[in-house]
Amino acid sequence: MIRTRPIAAIALLAMSAMPPLLITPVGAQQLSDRAKQVGMKIKCMCRGCDMAAGICSHPGGAFSGPCETAKAMLKEVDQHIAKGETDEQILQAFVQEFGTKVYAEPPKSGFSLVAWALPSIYLFLGTGVVIFVIARWRKRSVEQDAPAGGAPGISSELLERARAQASRETQD
Amino acid sequence: MDVFGYFALVLAFVCAVYAFGGGIAAIVTRHPLLIKSSRQAGMATCCLIFLATFSLEYLFFSDNFSIAYVVSHSNRDLSTFYKIAALWSGQEGSLLFWSFLLAVYVFSVLLTYRNKNGELMPYVGVVMAGVQIFFLTLNNFVASPFKVLASPGADGVMHYVARADGNGLTPLLQYPEMVIHPPNLYSGYTGFTIPFAFALGALLARYPGEKWIHLTRKWTMIAWMFQSMGILLGAHWAYAVLGWGGYWGWDPVENASFLPWLTGTAFLHSVMMQEKRGMMKVWNVWLVFCTFLLCILGTFLTRSGVVSSVHAFAQSSIGTWFVSFIALIIAVCLGAYLKNRDYLKSENQLDSIISRESSFLFNNLVLLVSCIAILSGTLFPVFSEWITGDRISVGAPFFNKVNIPTGLLLLFLTGVGPLLAWRKTSTESLKRNFGWPLGIGVAAGAIAFAFGFRQFYSWVCLVLCVSVASTVLLEFYRGAKVIRSRSGASFMASAVDLTMRNTRRYGGYIVHMGMVFVFIGLAGAAFNRDIQKDMRQGDTLKIGPYTLVLQGFDTKPEKNYTAQRLLVEVLQNNKPTMMLYPEKRRFSTTEENGTMVAIRSTLQEDLYVVYAGTSPDTQLPVIHAYLNPLVKWIWFGGVVVVLGTLVAMLPNRRAVLVLSAAQQPAAQPVAHGLPSSVTLREGHD
Repeated sequence: MIRTRPIAAIALLAMSAMPPLLITPVGAQQLSDRAKQVGMKIKCMCRGCDMAAGICSHPGGAFSGPCETAKAMLKEVDQHIAKGETDEQILQAFVQEFGTKVYAEPPKSGFSLVAWALPSIYLFLGTGVVIFVIARWRKRSVEQDAPAGGAPGISSELLERARAQASRETQD
Repeated sequence: MDVFGYFALVLAFVCAVYAFGGGIAAIVTRHPLLIKSSRQAGMATCCLIFLATFSLEYLFFSDNFSIAYVVSHSNRDLSTFYKIAALWSGQEGSLLFWSFLLAVYVFSVLLTYRNKNGELMPYVGVVMAGVQIFFLTLNNFVASPFKVLASPGADGVMHYVARADGNGLTPLLQYPEMVIHPPNLYSGYTGFTIPFAFALGALLARYPGEKWIHLTRKWTMIAWMFQSMGILLGAHWAYAVLGWGGYWGWDPVENASFLPWLTGTAFLHSVMMQEKRGMMKVWNVWLVFCTFLLCILGTFLTRSGVVSSVHAFAQSSIGTWFVSFIALIIAVCLGAYLKNRDYLKSENQLDSIISRESSFLFNNLVLLVSCIAILSGTLFPVFSEWITGDRISVGAPFFNKVNIPTGLLLLFLTGVGPLLAWRKTSTESLKRNFGWPLGIGVAAGAIAFAFGFRQFYSWVCLVLCVSVASTVLLEFYRGAKVIRSRSGASFMASAVDLTMRNTRRYGGYIVHMGMVFVFIGLAGAAFNRDIQKDMRQGDTLKIGPYTLVLQGFDTKPEKNYTAQRLLVEVLQNNKPTMMLYPEKRRFSTTEENGTMVAIRSTLQEDLYVVYAGTSPDTQLPVIHAYLNPLVKWIWFGGVVVVLGTLVAMLPNRRAVLVLSAAQQPAAQPVAHGLPSSVTLREGHD
């Protein structure tokens, strides 16, 4: 019975220590980290650069970390976070204040969708062109390989040997 | 000296106009004396540009503060080192420096081929002179670096004045790498003028086949090498000076320098198709045209301010000139192509989809898609404003999302391409060449996964890096093994011998290895960490295995600035390791601040410490510490890329005939007929 007391005391202490552990995620450091994350999604409005508020370091700025404008924006983000707003709500607040130019990356709606669609369009079009070119060149190669009507055909053995030799000679 | 420089530039312009006009007349009349005089006018243009550039440097070194450009970009206390760099620190000087580097290339070309390729060189000379005329127009009439300071006197007449001291150099530029980054980048930009001039000249002259490609290969590689060095030095400079812990922010001007590098890289690959198989003649000509156009566009983006940039100090209203020049180049290239496109007809054939040719096609596809995606992303804010009236920003997150997958695809092709045979690759060959590298890559990926490596793109990058490195090393191993079995030399000597026998191929492999190192470094960015803290003396800050202890701070007055330094002791796993001195600099002439980041760099990670200023709340110094894994690999990779390019430019050691009795040292090559005692054996020149 005597032995159970220290165990109970330790258990009680451990349980009393748990709530702070559960509460710490909204501590000062966490808040700052989230502000920085949101800061990477909005552009610094100092008009001296095109950098995200989280990393603004343009000439004329503070030269280390965010410039004064970006610092003020990050502070504003902190205030929104303190109010319990989501990232999207915070972004919208900045869009209302500065317009769509505040986005560090184009939103996936409206005309901005074009920016996102273009790289995929280039890739699909480019791949299409390459496939078309390959098919055309292959066809031309096959046509030329086929012996012309009436002309004596080249034996496949000789052709293979010639190819191997050409391949060796052009190896690079 | 200012008058001397001014007149040198005016005369250079006159000579360039003569080289251009005389060159055209020489092409029409084919008069030998006219050809010679236009070539000599081209060389005289270059010499006069050299004189103008040196005279501007003299004005900096003699502290001549009657010249507006010297006043704006120098002061008496500026060190000799930075007085050299002051030449390209502002617009007027940068444009003169462009002309200077271009003149170095043009002079070298005119001198090298003065008695060769008589059919082609007048055309090349005209194109080069045309480009020089554009830049000399800017140097003389739009942005002259020799403008003097003057003010109206009591009589209403302008009088020359001289200031006692200058404004000094922008603090951001007072960093050693700033002295070498712009010259490298500009050498890349200007260097692509030479392949452009040869391509356009060859098209206009209907010059035979692949000759222009053979002639320009080294010039293209030199330009590409400088462009690569310029980009990486710029990245390193941004990393060490801007203090945000990164090296690439997808700034419009950074993008602008990357675009010609991408098309230049595509050209260096696709050109082999034309050399080996006579294919892709039209494509290659347009790749060179585009690369040159992108070089001019890059200069335009830097100078015009059409897109906001970290390089804002370089902006002005000069953009219209560049837009006009770009339009003119497009018109000339298009006209030349439409007129002479028949000459570019090539016998394009593909024996197999699994071949070197296919890999080059896909390599070009990826590089070009990446290039156009970056270009459209960079210009999207401008276009969106034109179309919708709303400026939509496109920043780093967009470029990362778009370019990381294409970059990985390119890395994959880096490993696959060189091992595919021309025309057709057999299944046997595929198994032999890719079995081991693929196995090693997958094994490395599995081990990394088992150790908790979960970041998707970095994991894919790791697998590809290991596979590509294995393919390259395996190629060296196989080749060196054959040589070793014949010569009995050491393995390393055999590998060197192998490389020197086919410098282009093995130099290319070294470049690919360098790119693998760069990708390893880039993959580390996914694991960056940072922490910021207001620090009292004796306070500690922990990041990764490091503990930083603020031991104090001091003030260090220098000639041109005053540095406030933090004395930070670094403990690694609680053992004192070293001292770091991050500092803030206050430049007295401009009343501006600068940062010097303190970095402890190892192959594993960089401990990056920034003195981020004083906290307005606590009035204590703020330390911002970053732990950036693998960054050093990027710079190391850059060195390897340059080394590989230099190797690829060397001439091959040729196989010669030696007496079979190898002990005889003075073996002579035999010109005609082989005596019975002589056998063919590979040796060196």
